[in-house]
Amino acid sequence: MILNDFFIFMKQELMLLFIIFLLLLIKVGKDRSNESLLYLINLLLLINVIAGFILPGEGSLFSDMFRTNPLIALEKNMLNIGTLIISMQSYSWLKSHKHLLEFYILMISTLLGMFYMISSGNLLMFYLGLELSSIPLAALVNFDLEKKASSEAAMKFILSSAFSSGLLLFGVSLIYGTTGSLAYAEITSHLSTDPLQIFAFVLFLAGFAFKISAVPFHFWTADVYEGAPVAITSYLSVISKGAVLFVFVSVLYTVFKPLADVWYGMLFVLSISTIIIGNLFAIRQDNFKRFLAFSSIAQVGFILVGISGSSSMGTAAVIYFVLIYIFSNLGAFGVVSIVSSLTGKERISDYKSFYKTNPFLSWILTIALFSLAGVPPAAGFFGKFFLLIAGAEKGNYLLISIAALNMIVSFYYYLRIVKSVFMEPNESPIESLTIPLISKVALYICLLGIVILGLWSVVYDYIFTLSPIF
Amino acid sequence: MITQYLFYFLTFTAIFCALLVVFSKNPIYSALYLIVTFFATAGHYFLLNAQFLGAVHVIVYAGAIMVLFIYVIMMLNLNKEVEPHKSNIIKIAATVCGGILGLVLIAALRETELGEITEYSNNGIGLIEKLGNVLFGAYMVPFEISTVLFLSAMVGAVFLSKKNIH
Repeated sequence: MILNDFFIFMKQELMLLFIIFLLLLIKVGKDRSNESLLYLINLLLLINVIAGFILPGEGSLFSDMFRTNPLIALEKNMLNIGTLIISMQSYSWLKSHKHLLEFYILMISTLLGMFYMISSGNLLMFYLGLELSSIPLAALVNFDLEKKASSEAAMKFILSSAFSSGLLLFGVSLIYGTTGSLAYAEITSHLSTDPLQIFAFVLFLAGFAFKISAVPFHFWTADVYEGAPVAITSYLSVISKGAVLFVFVSVLYTVFKPLADVWYGMLFVLSISTIIIGNLFAIRQDNFKRFLAFSSIAQVGFILVGISGSSSMGTAAVIYFVLIYIFSNLGAFGVVSIVSSLTGKERISDYKSFYKTNPFLSWILTIALFSLAGVPPAAGFFGKFFLLIAGAEKGNYLLISIAALNMIVSFYYYLRIVKSVFMEPNESPIESLTIPLISKVALYICLLGIVILGLWSVVYDYIFTLSPIF
Repeated sequence: MITQYLFYFLTFTAIFCALLVVFSKNPIYSALYLIVTFFATAGHYFLLNAQFLGAVHVIVYAGAIMVLFIYVIMMLNLNKEVEPHKSNIIKIAATVCGGILGLVLIAALRETELGEITEYSNNGIGLIEKLGNVLFGAYMVPFEISTVLFLSAMVGAVFLSKKNIH
């Protein structure tokens, strides 16, 4: 029955819509204390995560405007988990914030946009989802109301995202003009290596590259990440980037399959420049958020290496890596978020002898950085390993060797932080912090994710069986 | 025949005024030329038999958005020469990049065999009734989701405007 399908297929979106409207109603009603609201919202998000795992249907609705399958449902669940972790980590920052409910309304709206973007089978719907996931984010970037840097970051973000949307729309309109349709299935059957279609694809790719901040479209990243509140920085670098990557993978492998030879070359250039520039700039940073911005640029470069090997292996490797990246990056951001909200310190040099005063946070930070760098017992190693294997399927060993060499460079700057946390002396280290229980739980979840995903192969196998074979 | 002349006239007006928007020194003149550009574009919609779209374009762009533009120009007092000047190297680099992009676009257009244009039949395709049927039929989900976009944009705008009240 149609109505039944509607509720089963769209249940994750309907859940989010329900939460948005519930929060709007609470906002209209009488004032409540921030703490009780935070518990309520985190509970709702937890229910949302659990509900996402029930009954992943497969099918499409509204003439392919919306489609779903177990893989798409899994991607959405990953984003749900990430959002819940971010929400729990930013507890101490939000507890004293005046506009708590607006924060969640805007954040869940962007999540809804990402869900529709992932599920769309039509370029119009995809574009709408993309806008819904980026316009409210500009307001979120401006959430540190007293700080001028936050407003500046929001301005930079909205301008660069408007510019990239413009490029993308120009590409979409050329695609529509040359193929006569916006539906994915129709576009694929009309695509050829026509010069105008390649031009359209280049514009389309540029729009995407802006969103995932691949070099040379990365200039906004560091400034926006530095100015935005830490919670939003982690949301931008993990959730919003992850969602765009999911769409990127599926669009490249299905819609633009006829252009596979064309985009392989482009991805080759993009991934090499992204890895190298991301790494080189990460070495020089002293601000922790800027450092993590460049490290996330470099990570995207590795993901692009994985995408360039067009196969089900590529899809599985990218999704698996994004899952690991969610846990490891959120682990690092969680520590930065707690330290920044309690002490206001965001520089790497402030973290000298951090271990003496805060052993728990130091260990979380260290393990997360190990995972980001790709040190074997942590999950990050396996993630990068699978990405490189997927990239190697095309037999392009130049790309793989450059990526592998850059992994060694990345060891240097990740381990530099570990060194200063454990070994370097500091006369005025960050004092011993009392972490709210809910944030502690979030950090433990990240830790568990990093350890389990690396050692328990079931997760990768599951993703691999879901990945379609092209 | 008359539609063809109209088409060329409208196109010429639109492009000419769009260039003037960019090249005018005075922002108020730029805004006025922008209005003419919007009207010329609306004329194109009428030629394509999309009356509703043309009317909405005039009302929304030439009406509401232009008023906003002019208000902002007046409030910010942009008449003064306060614009920071870019260095020559950046200007030259930007010109070269833009030129190359244009060259590639023209070359791609020349090399491409555009498929035959489907004969366009006058079946009232731009009337409100047809538009409504499509909006609530094939494009229902995007239409509904855009409401969430507006809602969140409104929440964001209200929140940002409350900024200075503590």
